[in-house]
Amino acid sequence: MMIRKYKNFGFMALAATVLLSACANQMEPAQTAIAGIDSAVSAASADAGKYIPDQLASVQAKLADLKASFDKKDYKAVLTGAPAVLTEAQGLLGAAAIKKDEVVKAANASWTGMAASLPGLVAAVSSRVAVLAKSKHPPAGVDVAAAKSASEEATSLWSKAQAAFAAGNVEEAVAAANDVKAKAEAAAAALKMKLPEAAPAAAAAAAK
Amino acid sequence: MEEQGKPPAGAPNAYTQVHEVVAGDTLGKIAAKYYGDASLYMTIFDANKSQLKDPNKIFPGQKLVIP
Repeated sequence: MMIRKYKNFGFMALAATVLLSACANQMEPAQTAIAGIDSAVSAASADAGKYIPDQLASVQAKLADLKASFDKKDYKAVLTGAPAVLTEAQGLLGAAAIKKDEVVKAANASWTGMAASLPGLVAAVSSRVAVLAKSKHPPAGVDVAAAKSASEEATSLWSKAQAAFAAGNVEEAVAAANDVKAKAEAAAAALKMKLPEAAPAAAAAAAK
Repeated sequence: MEEQGKPPAGAPNAYTQVHEVVAGDTLGKIAAKYYGDASLYMTIFDANKSQLKDPNKIFPGQKLVIP
């Protein structure tokens, strides 16, 4: 009876040792797998965060799950789940590059249209401000001071947009150009100028 | 990348306002309408020198640029 008890204890001790040894053997590969995913996510995070934030967040969530499993010493779960997450993480860079290319192409197209029309809008508004500044009695409802301020801001923003475009930052250039349009239209409204509806299309066509 | 500049100030462009002359118009009246000041009529004359030779002679149907 006693001998059997010892045998059972011995078997259990052996099993526990084998199990611990197996766990210890899996810890390092699990750690390496997580490090690999971490590295792939870090390499892609700048562009992925900007162009494919949802996809990045999904991979980050899966990585966090793997880390949680690792912390619970569930290395088997880490090693089972890691390959798929690594594949997704390694795909982030390419997916972000494709999306970035699409965004830049769209921004370039927007810039072409804006570069054709906005200088004309800014010039028309600035010109009217300059004339009205000489007027002894500007028409009722015209706010020359507000228009002057908005017009100057539009001019300054247009320089900023051009500088961004010249530096290759097309998205920044388009964002600044959108601000230019808003300021110039605000100036036109303050001047009670009726802007021709077809002007942007006409300006774009004239620029071709 | 090539910088895309703006047209010279005062040069007509797609956004420049245009006034079509009607019977009874004078440059002074048009200046008063757009600028609130008839004395600024020469601004309109100067902007339309390509079609106006005399600030006192404008004709219905003419399309004048209003800077």
